[in-house]
Amino acid sequence: MNRERFIRQRRSDWQQFEGLLNRMKGHRLSRWSGRDITRLSQLYRSICYDLSLVQSREWGARLEQYLNDLVAQGHNCLYRSPPRSLDTALSFLSDGFPALLRRRKNFFFVALALFLIPFLAAMVTAAIDPVLAERLVDQEHLEQAASSYENELYKDVDSKYAEERTMMTGFYVWNNVGIAFRCFALGAFFGIGTVVTLLFNGLTLGTVTGYLIYKGCTDNFFSFAISHGSFELTAIVIAGAAGLLLGWGMIHPGEHSRVQSLRIHGVEAVKLAAGAGFMLVVAALIEGYFSPMAIPHAVKYAVGTMLWGVVYVYLMYGGRGGVDVAMSLVDRAGTGKATANRQPAAVSVVESSV
Amino acid sequence: MSAKQKVDTRVTVETPEGVDFQFMIAGPGKRGMSFFIDAIIKVGFGVLAFLVFAFASGVSGSVSGVAGGAMLFIWFLMSWLYGSCFEAFWHGQTPGKKSQNLRVVRTNGTPIGWFEAFGRNLLLVPDGMLVLGPIALNTVGLASMAATSRMQRLGDLVFDTMVIDETREFISRTPGIIHGIERIPRAHCVGRFHVPERTLAVIERLFEGDRLISAGRREEIARTLAVPLKKHLGYDDGGPDAANPNAYFVRTPTQHTDFLKRILKTFAEDSAGTDEQSVKVDVKAVLEESRRTTMNAVLARRAEANRVAGEPSDNVALEDSTVADEFESLEFVEEVDESTNGGHPEDWRSKL
Repeated sequence: MNRERFIRQRRSDWQQFEGLLNRMKGHRLSRWSGRDITRLSQLYRSICYDLSLVQSREWGARLEQYLNDLVAQGHNCLYRSPPRSLDTALSFLSDGFPALLRRRKNFFFVALALFLIPFLAAMVTAAIDPVLAERLVDQEHLEQAASSYENELYKDVDSKYAEERTMMTGFYVWNNVGIAFRCFALGAFFGIGTVVTLLFNGLTLGTVTGYLIYKGCTDNFFSFAISHGSFELTAIVIAGAAGLLLGWGMIHPGEHSRVQSLRIHGVEAVKLAAGAGFMLVVAALIEGYFSPMAIPHAVKYAVGTMLWGVVYVYLMYGGRGGVDVAMSLVDRAGTGKATANRQPAAVSVVESSV
Repeated sequence: MSAKQKVDTRVTVETPEGVDFQFMIAGPGKRGMSFFIDAIIKVGFGVLAFLVFAFASGVSGSVSGVAGGAMLFIWFLMSWLYGSCFEAFWHGQTPGKKSQNLRVVRTNGTPIGWFEAFGRNLLLVPDGMLVLGPIALNTVGLASMAATSRMQRLGDLVFDTMVIDETREFISRTPGIIHGIERIPRAHCVGRFHVPERTLAVIERLFEGDRLISAGRREEIARTLAVPLKKHLGYDDGGPDAANPNAYFVRTPTQHTDFLKRILKTFAEDSAGTDEQSVKVDVKAVLEESRRTTMNAVLARRAEANRVAGEPSDNVALEDSTVADEFESLEFVEEVDESTNGGHPEDWRSKL
């Protein structure tokens, strides 16, 4: 076939393809008609063939590039990532995330050790000798923390409470989630950044806690921290685990090439970080609106303990499928309709706690 | 591909159809520009939100707490989720990337998913770092881009993505290059009157508009092509005309370039109105004829089959249309009127 004749014959198809692409790009996937899709994929395949023909016969760079562009556009149009829905996100949070964390629990425990050991050490040290505490953390900060926990934070739930707490919730989301994400991302330096972040946070928090114990604000502080601490501290450790996982993929590729290993570990790590981010948003809401409420401390301790239990159940049993088994047993017992909107228990528990 | 030394930033991707096609990788310049635009949008939006809330609290006097909370939350969204959300829901583009015609895709050319978009944006933290110093100058990211063939920063490496440049450049022959050039008469050539397609393609490349070649250099290159071509065609330009030798010698500095232009005019340009046209009509008629006979044969066979199966014969009328559909592909593609499709990039001939 002659080049000129080839162009003349195929051009109408190319133009049709271009027109179709432009039309379909403007619409959402669900509004594409079946006929258009069929026609588009037919044309796409024939243009792939045209491109390989032009490539093999070296019919000029311009023609090749034109067809190359058409193929690239068609490729991007036809090979999309699967449509994403809220369901996928929810099922990731309820099942995928806890299951992934359990599979990578070693990283969780290492991160926990990196956070907890300096925390406990600093706490004990600061509780015994506050002079040492002042060496670790600014005295100003310590004083400020002590003064804010000397008295109850609030006497009443009123409009002032609502306002200040909303402000603080925003701050907690911005600050804590930011810390967690940064803790994960710094794992890209062979995990070193994550280790440093975990150690540093453990030291600082431990020092402040120890100093508060020394000052005798124990009750006020722990009744405040216990509720949101469940989600917050766990999430920080999980973010640390994500960073360590990322670093581990760089340090120890195992049977994969380093780049492959990085990809495998990276995707898992970012999933953990996303889960940690979600937990921190939950924590921020608890810390913002529940923790400082003017209610008896006994209630706070009770709810706080329960929340730790919720976190434990969520991470230990989420995604095990136990709920489904239980539900199917219920189904068999007689209520056939229950299957329709079954939801894993962990999510509903978490949601109700929010 | 790896064996070849590359001089540009194209990356070859193989489609499931088994065809290789190429993406242009975006360089640090364009990516820096899009990063800058995104940064302005982020900060701008944050400041706008601040002003709105400040104004609102100024008016009512007491919304400051709620406003501050919302403000911090917006600032959180802007700093951590802006890039991820846009790239996840906008097929790999942020407003900045869109303005520069950039797009994030996986290295196999497919669009990125949620977690890739999220992860590669989180890794902006290490990528944005200057190794020594407090200001984010993207040193790590730039170093990583310089070290990888697909110009990937750390976030791209980990999540197997790359940023491609979708700007479409139409390289076209300088318009009017063979305007007013005469064809080479068949009678001047004693050899075979034929130039292979590949040679024509090479000549065309020499005249592509994006090439910055001086006339002298083009003549030099043209010489290496023109001399063997003349030999191949057995072309003899006859030397200077005895009556007017000046015209011949004036042309000498560009004689090879001119010769190649004449080759293009003669062999690459569509020879409308020559005997090829009549052949084409014949082909069309023959195709039409063979299509009709085949279709009749198929119809007859189906009718026969239906008769044997004892089905009502009016089915045949229904079948008619499906058979016609089947033969759609056989239909001879109508000649497109060149003058009517102005915007077609390949249609450089209309500019000649």
